[in-house]
Amino acid sequence: MNHPFSKRLENIPPSGIRKFFDLVAHSKDIISLGVGEPDFSTPWAIREEAISTLERGTTAYTSNSGLPECREAIATYLKNSFNCSYNPANEMILTFGVSEAVDIAFRTILNEGDEVILFEPCYVCYAPLVTLAGGHVVTIDTSKNHFLPPIDQLKKAISPLTKAVLICSPNNPTGAVIPSDILQEIAALSIKHGFWVITDEVYAELSYDKPFVSYASLEGIKEKTILLNGFSKAFAMTGWRLGYVCSSQDFISRALKIHQYSALCAPTVAQYAAIEALNHPESVVAMKQSYQARRNLFVKRLNQIGLPTLLPEGAFYCFPSIMGTGLSSEEFAVQLLKKTNVAVVPGSVFGQGGEGFIRCCYATDLTLLKEAVLRIHSFLKKIG
Amino acid sequence: MTPDTLETLLLSHLKKNARLSIQDLVDMTRATAKEIEEILDNLEKSGAIAQYTTIINEDLLKKSPSLIRALIEVSVRPEKKTGYDAVAKRISAHPNVVSHYLLSGNYDFLVIVEGSTLQEISQFVSELASLENVRSTGTHFILKKYKESGVHFLSEESENRLAIVP
Repeated sequence: MNHPFSKRLENIPPSGIRKFFDLVAHSKDIISLGVGEPDFSTPWAIREEAISTLERGTTAYTSNSGLPECREAIATYLKNSFNCSYNPANEMILTFGVSEAVDIAFRTILNEGDEVILFEPCYVCYAPLVTLAGGHVVTIDTSKNHFLPPIDQLKKAISPLTKAVLICSPNNPTGAVIPSDILQEIAALSIKHGFWVITDEVYAELSYDKPFVSYASLEGIKEKTILLNGFSKAFAMTGWRLGYVCSSQDFISRALKIHQYSALCAPTVAQYAAIEALNHPESVVAMKQSYQARRNLFVKRLNQIGLPTLLPEGAFYCFPSIMGTGLSSEEFAVQLLKKTNVAVVPGSVFGQGGEGFIRCCYATDLTLLKEAVLRIHSFLKKIG
Repeated sequence: MTPDTLETLLLSHLKKNARLSIQDLVDMTRATAKEIEEILDNLEKSGAIAQYTTIINEDLLKKSPSLIRALIEVSVRPEKKTGYDAVAKRISAHPNVVSHYLLSGNYDFLVIVEGSTLQEISQFVSELASLENVRSTGTHFILKKYKESGVHFLSEESENRLAIVP
């Protein structure tokens, strides 16, 4: 046996940042700006519904695509909140978080050698999952375009092999929100060239300055659009692992083949809890207000201490530039951790265009955020 | 942002943390210091912001002040002209009373009192019971605080997130 392990896995480079993550894991009493989740517990009513589901003993498998009543609640929510129309009966699958939804989206559409265009910096799972599905990643750097997709470069990157373009708005790690004129241009290119657009909208509820425009709400693109969303970020339900993928019936019937064999169904208790979550939009409003206040304060103060930071319009991350320090993003993160006990994520983790930046999550107690700024300031003075 | 929206936002921030400085509020709301000071001045002058206070978990104090707290249900005879208010005013004026509410239901007032010894509280209850308009009292001593003014004292809400998640 020449190849005991998957050859495809060998095409995924080992994470260069592993040592840094281990360093953080073994540090104590740190202020962590490196988290990727809300700092709220799941709202009470949602937790209570889950407990009641367990007490009733409602713990069996659900249908592969998820509880019909949960899919119906999601379809109504998508229509009312974002003007996206999906038939809950055959245009939606509930998944293990958005992560599984990304995976099955790629595996449903990609053939060996197909190209997927990613706008980097972006969330870390996209490129490896493209590779695992046999696709080839083409990246476009957004760092010189306020972290928004540069349409001129997208046009140049499109080739006969282009199978899909993935967008994530509001964005992890930059917090950028793609305005509707750019979404329209991407849609026009998708129609012209026939590629899929996969739109990861897991932070859709966390858009602070303008009403969020979903790519999936645009006219005439449904047949080539794959919408991904989930409950982790808006409803503070990260550990529950519940996401969903919506698209045309043609797509969903094929994606279901993967999901039914690899996952069978999304967690049952989480599905019942999710129905309750959608009955409590007020909990999202309160959390959003809290993130927005912290964003305003934190970003203003980072700029004041000399780290140029764009005001992120969504999610709960900001992406300060550390280019002025002359350090690489990993060196900056390691030294900051060792000298001040503040943890941030090096921008290089997020691909092309991420070098020279760090990701800071402001979903952290306000007092700690203020203290973190003071510590980063003292660090900057020492290395300056 | 309208002044009304800003006022609601400021109150919501200050209810969670009364120690926020004007500069913090400026940075959090992106309003000017002048706008914020004007709103807070008006709220303070009108008494709408009655006090900036502190929530203490006595269990975590190194030197416990051994404060004893009790809830007292009080049934009273309201007065002809002034109703409940005149008798409420007399009870509220007592230095041991920290909160006092008129309620619907089986009794009229809920009075929350604090004292440093059991004797102090029982002295208060005797004084209260001997007031002319007071018909009966029922005293419940607080044994443990789980939550106060929205703050949890159990460890449920403690940090359990991974320090780094990309």
